[in-house]
Amino acid sequence: MSPSPSVVVTGLGAVSSLGVGVDRQWRAALAGRASIGPIGLFDTASHRTTIAAEVPKDAELAPGRGFSRAERFACTAAAEAVQGLPPAVLRSPRAGVFFGSSTGALHEGERFLAALLQHREGELAPLAAQQNDGPGTAVARMLGVQGPVVTFSTACTSANVALAAALDALQSGEIDVAVAGGADELCEITYAGFNSLRSVDARPTLPFRTSRAGLSLGEGAGVLLLETLAHAEQRGAPMLCELAGAGRSCDAHHVSAPDPDGTGAAAAIRMALQQAGLPPDAVTFVNAHGTGTPHNDDAESKAMLAVFGARSARIPVTSTKSLVGHLLGAAGGIEAVFTVLSIVHRQLPPTAGDEPADPALCLDVVLQQARALPSQNAGLSTNLAFGGNNAVLLFRSLGFLGSLGFRSLSP
Amino acid sequence: MTRREVVVTGVGCIGPWGIGLPGLAKALQQGLPLTSPIDRSAGYHRRGAATLLAACGELDLSPWLSPQQARRMSILSQYAVATARMALQDAGLADVRSDRTAVALATAFGPGTFTEQLARQILEKGGKAASPFLFTDCVANAASGQIAIDLGARGPNATICQREAGPLLALAHGAHDVAAGRADVCLAGAVDEMSPLSHAILDRFRALARPGGHGEVARPFDRRRRGFLAGEGATIVVLEAEASARARGARLLCRVGPTVRAFDPSAGRASFGRDHDALARTLLGRLAGTLCEVDTVVSSASGARRGDALEAAVLRAVCPRHTNVLVPKAVHGEYGGGTLAAALLALRGAEFGYPPACNEPDGALGISPASGRIEATRVLCSALAAGGAAAWSILEAP
Repeated sequence: MSPSPSVVVTGLGAVSSLGVGVDRQWRAALAGRASIGPIGLFDTASHRTTIAAEVPKDAELAPGRGFSRAERFACTAAAEAVQGLPPAVLRSPRAGVFFGSSTGALHEGERFLAALLQHREGELAPLAAQQNDGPGTAVARMLGVQGPVVTFSTACTSANVALAAALDALQSGEIDVAVAGGADELCEITYAGFNSLRSVDARPTLPFRTSRAGLSLGEGAGVLLLETLAHAEQRGAPMLCELAGAGRSCDAHHVSAPDPDGTGAAAAIRMALQQAGLPPDAVTFVNAHGTGTPHNDDAESKAMLAVFGARSARIPVTSTKSLVGHLLGAAGGIEAVFTVLSIVHRQLPPTAGDEPADPALCLDVVLQQARALPSQNAGLSTNLAFGGNNAVLLFRSLGFLGSLGFRSLSP
Repeated sequence: MTRREVVVTGVGCIGPWGIGLPGLAKALQQGLPLTSPIDRSAGYHRRGAATLLAACGELDLSPWLSPQQARRMSILSQYAVATARMALQDAGLADVRSDRTAVALATAFGPGTFTEQLARQILEKGGKAASPFLFTDCVANAASGQIAIDLGARGPNATICQREAGPLLALAHGAHDVAAGRADVCLAGAVDEMSPLSHAILDRFRALARPGGHGEVARPFDRRRRGFLAGEGATIVVLEAEASARARGARLLCRVGPTVRAFDPSAGRASFGRDHDALARTLLGRLAGTLCEVDTVVSSASGARRGDALEAAVLRAVCPRHTNVLVPKAVHGEYGGGTLAAALLALRGAEFGYPPACNEPDGALGISPASGRIEATRVLCSALAAGGAAAWSILEAP
């Protein structure tokens, strides 16, 4: 065992159905104000449901000629996250971009195919992002980074896997700074696809409730600026919290359904705790995957029971998907933003919706109003995905950092 | 963090050459492109578009995958699962069911055929016509998830989409999981399928070699190059910690050295960049002591006009003068991870024929493909991607 450098969060950026900007997201989240409504992006007449969490048409997104929506979401959130950072820091081989995306430019791809089927030529330029690396690569180009640029596409865990890879790259000494997160856009394939699985609730999603009947799809981006502690200290950066651990696992159970016992998710939580060098008792809240599908919420509650035992009924849990929908490959990005803000402001936003929590899940679901958190926090942000993919991040208050800024890393 | 040395103990591959390394070795020895006509029946291609593909064709995957299993998967997942099983058999590993078995796979386009079929269902018949079967296997990580389900691999599972740089990025990602002690075994590599729609879109971006002029041929480093040959297939290697591989008496195919990852922001969204100086500086900054001992480069040159120029400039700056430079993409085309398999062949002393399509080397690039028996001991695998990403990995004889 040898010391591994601590990694801190020094910037945040977000785009969602709540609009553009972290402050806007946070104000709405604290008020428990969901932004899920009728879809305007495409005609829903032929679909089973009609609502989603769509980025507002008047949102002030970064311009980008020929860009896909996802690329614009990504660049907008990344620009906010790196505000105040001298550009030269990013224009270096010591800076990297780690991004998650599940759909790339699929909405534009659908439009292109629709035109082809009518013997017309669609707009080609956005299809440069059709390969899922589009959003992350657009961010890298915008910022001029010269270090590693990697896009992960593991469905709903994509951004968490990307953030975990950024943590690895920073701790290994490959880079000093990483821009990491995810971006995804609504499209008919995912909308119809989840509907075909009967996984979309016709109402705004109700995670952890008895009547939960599925998710609400969303779109947007969530981006974190990560630095080694030494780098952040050297430049006098404002530090928000520490990204202390990440855990990844696979259920190896079913291509689209979670392991009903939550075994894989529990393994990922344990791995994140181990990397952070924390016992389960240190966790003060969970920003859960919480999709609102019966199977996911059930499996997740079992994973928490497996890791935390009886205390799982007393750890405050929220699902910010109730506010901004399920951003798929970007879910981990926007949820990491909410998790970091919860640590900074010591408040956990409520899970939107009026119903009481499902007592069968035995979880302390934060409802109705934000919950005050202790002065020092260790918060988990969990994501589960198609392919049985699980990825968990552990963020904690800066007060956990040792005086030298180093801690032990268990292999 | 104590890092463990990582070795390759098995390999599986399929591609336009068929199934397994011997078929690829034979194709590389001949040096001829493995082409067949692309299916244009859907009407996606424009007049004058590329007509050829380095296609897998009808492969008999039944030794690796039962017909019942195959029916439940996209063609991409079939390639991935069959190739993973092949790699494990080659490594002499019968059972890897464990939370210490990881998967790290790259794919440029994901399951293109399933995605296109699903999109057409929705566009032509409405959202309610969407097939749940197509949907669940059309996400990019379906293939890596199917490998995990098939093998019981419950460790970290990643899918990387970074165009042509993906295979080496996946190799590095998997090697890191093993080196850091998160996994004892990792199946790492790449899988790609080339649907007619993807092919037609690549052609619209003017990425592919087209008929007319000097012919529809991929000509890496040649003065007549005008684009690449699209390909498909899968290459997956088994990664293990060297100490445990030796302890179980495994045959070591190579040691996985460091990977350097970089980005060229001068690249366009669908094209290669021009800042070879910065890429070379990054590579030298990380690997200066190792590069002087590289005897062979398995190049990412594909016949792309700007991509090959960038590749040549970087290689000229970082490699010793008499380094062998191999161009396997002249044979198996772009995508499918074939270059990784070609690198293992170079380390085995395989013979590489001179691709006739490259017989007029571009003097401005200063690089000519090597040929003959290559007895490599230290290989630099190169992967420059359209859009700007880059990766280089060192593979060493054990």
